[in-house]
Amino acid sequence: MTQVSTFKKKLRNNVTAYLFLLPTILVLGTFLFLPVFYSLYLSGHKVNLLGDVSYKWVGFNNFTRMAGDERAWIALKNTASFALFVVPLQTAFAILLAVILNAKLRFKNFFRIVFFMPTVTSSAVLSLIFMWIYNSNGLLNRVLEFVGLHGFNWLGDPAVALKAIMLMNIWSTAPFFMVVFLAALQDIPDALYESAMLDGAGGFRRFISITLPMIKPATFFTVVMGIIGTFQLFDQSYIFSAGSGGPNNSTLTVALLIYQYAFKNLDFGYASALAVMLAAVIMIVTLIQRKLFSEEKLN
Amino acid sequence: MRKSGLIILSLMLVTGLMLTACGGNKTNSNTGAAATNNGTNKETAAPTTDEPVTITLAGWGASPEEQDLLNQTLKEFETKYPNVKVNYEVIADQYMDVIKTRLIGGEGPDVFYLDAFEAPGLIEANVLEPLDSYVTPEFDVADFEQPMVDAFKKDNVSYGFPKDFSTLAMFYNKKDFSEAGITTPPTTWDELKADAIKLTKKEGDKVTRYGFGVAPELARQMFMIQAFGGKVSDEEGKATFASAEALPGLQLVVDMHNVDKSSGEPKEVGAGWGGEMFGQGKASIVFEGNWAIPFLESNYKELDYATAELPTVNGTKGTMAFTVAYVMNKQSKKKEAAWQLISFLTGKDGMKTWTSKGFALPTRKSVAQELGYDKDELRGAIVAGASYATPWQAASTLPTITNNFNNQFVDTFMGNSKLEDAMKKAEDVANKEIEAAK
Repeated sequence: MTQVSTFKKKLRNNVTAYLFLLPTILVLGTFLFLPVFYSLYLSGHKVNLLGDVSYKWVGFNNFTRMAGDERAWIALKNTASFALFVVPLQTAFAILLAVILNAKLRFKNFFRIVFFMPTVTSSAVLSLIFMWIYNSNGLLNRVLEFVGLHGFNWLGDPAVALKAIMLMNIWSTAPFFMVVFLAALQDIPDALYESAMLDGAGGFRRFISITLPMIKPATFFTVVMGIIGTFQLFDQSYIFSAGSGGPNNSTLTVALLIYQYAFKNLDFGYASALAVMLAAVIMIVTLIQRKLFSEEKLN
Repeated sequence: MRKSGLIILSLMLVTGLMLTACGGNKTNSNTGAAATNNGTNKETAAPTTDEPVTITLAGWGASPEEQDLLNQTLKEFETKYPNVKVNYEVIADQYMDVIKTRLIGGEGPDVFYLDAFEAPGLIEANVLEPLDSYVTPEFDVADFEQPMVDAFKKDNVSYGFPKDFSTLAMFYNKKDFSEAGITTPPTTWDELKADAIKLTKKEGDKVTRYGFGVAPELARQMFMIQAFGGKVSDEEGKATFASAEALPGLQLVVDMHNVDKSSGEPKEVGAGWGGEMFGQGKASIVFEGNWAIPFLESNYKELDYATAELPTVNGTKGTMAFTVAYVMNKQSKKKEAAWQLISFLTGKDGMKTWTSKGFALPTRKSVAQELGYDKDELRGAIVAGASYATPWQAASTLPTITNNFNNQFVDTFMGNSKLEDAMKKAEDVANKEIEAAK
C-alpha cells in the first residue's frame, strides 16, 4: 500500500517536473538538437533543397572533398592563425585591464563603464565604424601619416586585411573577459598579498606567484571561450569583405566558407560537412586545453 | 522557472495560432486562384473574382525618389485591379541569399525582382513559373528589346519580363578635361590610356585624382574578356577566363593601374563605388550606368560632366548590360493575380510610369521612343550601348566563377601577382568547385 503510494507520488512528481520542462525541451529540441542532427544527416548527403528537393546518400564524399578544396584549407589556416594571434593577446589585454581596474583608482566606476562599452555595442555596428576608421583616407591612416608612417589600404590589401579584423576583434572582446578576471581578482584574499609582502615579495613577484595562479580557472574559461569565439568568426569578416572573403581569400574564415557554400552555392550537404568538421576541430582543441590546464586540479 | 515556462508555452500557443491562421488564409486564396486559372479566358475571368487577394512583391531598396515612383506605379495597378492588393517588401541586404532561403522554406514572395545574373540558376532549379501561357497578344512581347527578354529564357520558355535595364557608359568630368587640354572624349582604349595619364594628379607620391576609376570585378570586366575573343565560361559551365584570348583585354585594365598608375579603384580613395569616386572628383573618367545619373544629380549638383559611349577595345564596340526582371514564384498560390501585377508593371502603361523620371530605362522600344531617352543628353550614350552590349549573365555556375575571379583579379590589380598566374589559379579553383558540386 505504502509502496504503491510512494510510486504514485514519485510518478506524479516526475510527470509534473517533465511538464514544466516540456516547453524548454521543445524549444531546445526544435532549435538546438534537431538542427544538429539534421546537419549531421545532411553532411552525408548531396542535397538539393531549392525547387526539386532531393537527398542522395554519398557517404563520406563530402568529407573527402574537403581534402581537395583549396579554399577550405585557406579558411582553416586563416581561422587558426586568427585564434593563435587573438586569443593570447585578448587574454593578456583583459588581465591588464582587470588589474588596472582592481587597483585603487579614482573614478573607478567611470573607467569600468568606458572599458566595458565595446562589449555592449553590436559587432555589426562596430565593424561599420572600424571600416570607416580603416578606410584608405580614414582615421587610422591619417594618424599614421601624422606621425610620419605610411598608411595601408587596410581593407583592400590581402597582406593586412585579416590583421585589421584581428585588431578590431581584440579591442572588442577583451572587455568582456576583463569582467571575468575582475571577479576572479576580487576573490583573492588580501591576506595572501599581505603575507607575501611580509616575506619581502615585490609587486611583480606577487603578480606572478599569487595573482596569476589564483586566476587560473578564469584564464581557462577565457582561453576556451576565446578559441570557440575566434573559430566561429563570421560577422566581422563578412561585413569587411562584403561576403566574399577577399581580397585573395585573406579574410575567408571557416564560418564564412560554410555560409558561402550553404547560401550562395546552395550546397547544403557540403556546407554541413564543413560545419561538422569545424565542430570537431573546436572540440579537439578544447579537450587539449583541458588536459593542459588540469595538471593542477581545477574546481 | 515556472513563470518562464508559462511564457514560453503561451508564446508557442500564439505562434501556433498564427501559423494555422496563415495556413487557412493560403488555402482560401488557393482555391480562388485555381478557379480563375482554368484555360483560356483568364483576362475576363480575373476581374470577376470579387474576393480580394493580397500578393507580395519583393525587391531591393532604392533611393527614396525611386521608391516613390514604384509606389505610384503600384497605386495605379491597384486602381486598375481593385481586388488585388500588393504588399511590397524591401529586402535590404544580400537579396539573393534571402530570396533563395525563403523559396526553400516555402515562404517566397509571389512576385520578385531577379537579376539576369542569377536567372539561369533559378530557372534550372525549377522554382520559377513559366509565363508563356499567361501572355496575351495585347502584352506585345515583340516590343521588348530582344536581348533583355532572352536573358530570362531557357529552351525558348520565358520565365520573366525585364522591368528595366542599363548599360555602362563613360562618364567624364568636363572641367578636368578642359584643364588637361582634352577636347573630345576618348573613342579607343589607346586614347583612354593616354588621356588617363594626362588626367591623373599627384601630390608627391600620393595620387589625389585618378584619370580613370575602375571596378576590378567580373560584372564590369566581362566585355573586356570578350574584346579579344575570350569567354567567361564554356557550354558546360566551366570557367574559361584564363584562355589566351581572354587575357589581353584584362591586361589592358591591369596595366593602367600598375604600369601607367593612371587608374584606381574606389576603395583606394575611400569611395564606396565608381559614382561616388567620380562625384568626389577623385576620378575624371568612370564607366557607370544609368543609376549614377540621379545619384550625381542629388549628391553632387555642381559637378560638370557628360557621358559618351565606351571606347572601343581592339577595334570593337563593347559594354556591359544589366537587366532585372519580374518573375513569378512557382509555388505562389495566387498566380493569376501575380501575372496581373507582372503584366501591368512590364506593360506599356506601368513601364511608362516606372521609367518616366529616368531612374531606370525602359526595356520596351515603344516606351523608350515615347519618353525620348535615346535623344537624352546624358542617357543617349547608355541607350546606344544596348544594341552591342554584353548582358551580365552566363551559365548557372556564374556565382562560383565570379567569386573566384573577383578574389584573384583584385590581387593582380593590386600588383601582387601576374595576371596569367592569378587567372589560371582562379580558373582551376572555380572548375574544381564546379566539378565537386556536380
